[in-house]
Amino acid sequence: MTIDRRQLLRLTAAAGLGTGALASCASPTAGPPLRSGQADLTMWTHDPGYASFFTEAATDAEIVGGSAWTYSVEVASVAADALVTRMITQAVAQRPLPTLAGLELGQFPRMMRADIAENLLVDLTPLTESLGDRLLKTQPYTVDGKVYALESDNSVSVMYYRADEFERLGIPDDVETWEELLDIGAQVAADTGQSIGMVSDGDNTAIVQGFMQFLLQRGGGLFDADGELTVESEESVEVLELMAEGVRTGAFVSLTDPYGSATGAALKDGRLIATVMPNWYKVYGLEANVPDQAGLWRARNIPRFSSGGSISSTMGGTAFGVVKDQVLTDAAVDFLERSYLTPEGQLARYWAGAYLPTLADLYETPEFQDITDPYLGDQRIFETYGAAVEELPGFYQGAGLPVLRDSLGGPILRAQRGEIDAEAALEEGVRAYERQAPR
Amino acid sequence: MTATDTRPAARPAPPPARRTRARARRQWAPYLFISPFFILFTLFMLVPIGAGIYLSFTDWAGLGTPEFIGTANYTRLFQDESFGASLANTGFYTVCALIVVLPASLMIAQALNARGLKLRDFFRLVYFMPVVLSPIIIALIFGLIFDGEYGLFNAVLEALFGFGGVSWLTDPLWARIVVVVLVLWRWTGFLTIFFLAGLQNIPQELNEAALVDGAGPVRRFFSITIPILHPVTAFIAVTMLVNTAQIFEEPFLLTNGGPGESTLSISMFVYRAAFLRQELGYAAAAGVVMFVIVFALGRLSISAFGVGRNR
Repeated sequence: MTIDRRQLLRLTAAAGLGTGALASCASPTAGPPLRSGQADLTMWTHDPGYASFFTEAATDAEIVGGSAWTYSVEVASVAADALVTRMITQAVAQRPLPTLAGLELGQFPRMMRADIAENLLVDLTPLTESLGDRLLKTQPYTVDGKVYALESDNSVSVMYYRADEFERLGIPDDVETWEELLDIGAQVAADTGQSIGMVSDGDNTAIVQGFMQFLLQRGGGLFDADGELTVESEESVEVLELMAEGVRTGAFVSLTDPYGSATGAALKDGRLIATVMPNWYKVYGLEANVPDQAGLWRARNIPRFSSGGSISSTMGGTAFGVVKDQVLTDAAVDFLERSYLTPEGQLARYWAGAYLPTLADLYETPEFQDITDPYLGDQRIFETYGAAVEELPGFYQGAGLPVLRDSLGGPILRAQRGEIDAEAALEEGVRAYERQAPR
Repeated sequence: MTATDTRPAARPAPPPARRTRARARRQWAPYLFISPFFILFTLFMLVPIGAGIYLSFTDWAGLGTPEFIGTANYTRLFQDESFGASLANTGFYTVCALIVVLPASLMIAQALNARGLKLRDFFRLVYFMPVVLSPIIIALIFGLIFDGEYGLFNAVLEALFGFGGVSWLTDPLWARIVVVVLVLWRWTGFLTIFFLAGLQNIPQELNEAALVDGAGPVRRFFSITIPILHPVTAFIAVTMLVNTAQIFEEPFLLTNGGPGESTLSISMFVYRAAFLRQELGYAAAAGVVMFVIVFALGRLSISAFGVGRNR
């Protein structure tokens, strides 16, 4: 069979029209809400850990048993920053959106602008309200008093330390305050060149995250519940001074990226023998970089600042939100509630990816208390996490956080190095923020 | 002998309506054939440019209706110290690219063009290699080389000269210089290929005649090579200038604009405003200003270097 040029052109045009017609029929999001039956949820996330958890949870009778829907989850992997961009562009183009979206903590402030969260996501406050203070870490995903996403992992910060090195160097593992520990760290650095902590001198995000972790522990914060800036405070000055003092004496080592190759090298050669980081750092930082040091590390609560604060902090996280006004929105809310707000779901989440429960009372239950961690020398790790959770500081984010990160990064770095004092650094950062922040 | 008329019998004339249709078809056919270009150009160039210019006069977070705010974005832009910093950084990269990368490419091309050079193809391959490597790999390797605490470069300096504590990526000045080094490393080999092609087109007789007249290598280089290479040099200079004025990958992957904003480029500023801060109107305004700057620089350099001028 031969096709002449005219037939070929007709065929091409027909194929184009056919593709267009099929594409226009592709959206499964339009129509009345599905109240029961088969719910084929779609999910976007940057973390394969969540993908495997949700995929398994969809068929786990302990989690979804008794639901009016039968679930399946199809996951698309999307980079954390691209996920928000893609959601917005899909919404503008009226193209299909996922039913569930994994929003990385640092990206959520982008959704706090111009009612984006309100327009795209279901208000989950009715689910969280009934749990009251039992449910932790809802504040960072709250806009105008409404919770738009549920946190996957408390990201509780503790101090990981090399028990063998602490013993060899005579460092007590129960030092109560930062001031005491910093004195010891300075002596250790002078004697051996080893450090008992790290600060980041890389990009603005890493610098400000490190600062914020200390700041939350000290009792400060970057924003209040109304999204107003609160970083210019005594707590901030104190934290910056502590960081600068640690760097000056060598107690803290400056590393470009807490997750990068330089940190890996510092861990491997025993230069970095302790660090304050969230629970997930054990998996992504310690076990990934120094698997051979299994059994040598332990976790303890963070020493307090002598002037106040807690023994706990938090850094990072990913929360899941449900996209509103879709056929499967009700089903997705039900699925998220069962996976994230029930003891069964929280326990399954821990075993799937070591995600810490967000329901505070679960830390005291035998299911969690009995867990031992081989990497940490079979330590009963929930004794430490449990104590930290009791004092876990809450914190709010603001729509201006991306601007604040860029404004504060440079001045904090200079303060860490002792090039300017803490107050001047904060003032410089805040003034830059005020000039740049969208009104 | 009678002549035979071999012409075909005249066809009966088509009806007037059909004649008009045929004429119209003949008239429109050329436009139909060139229309795909114009349709695509309009859809993918003119419409986005127009939309970008319109957005630059609005406040828009990406969702909802853009709010018209007049020239407020431009006013804010020219008062924004970050934008000023990104302009200065981009200017620094562009100047360095022109005064370092361009001569370095010419020197390498000259060396590769030397008579009797062994392993010529190997050297060409080596110099061209950075162009085809993934920028992510390059940034990773450069991060390892220039890390302040554990970097290879500091280790070498320490071993050779007894000092090595330079914060290459976290000191504002050194971070800028490392970005330039990355640009140099990445693009020199690519530009060398153009110069090499130009050098190979220089007639050998000219050099031989100059040699007979007693001209040394330096004299021959400045009196023969440089003038004949002028069109190639001009093309490379303009291309380099326009490309470096839009530099994004190198500072983004190596330092993410840091420390502070000391390596932030204009393209990164636009990206940051649009996709990290959801200020699409403001980003559009910065994009328009960038376009004007790059266009003006391009036109100026074309005029200065005499690109396309008949000689």
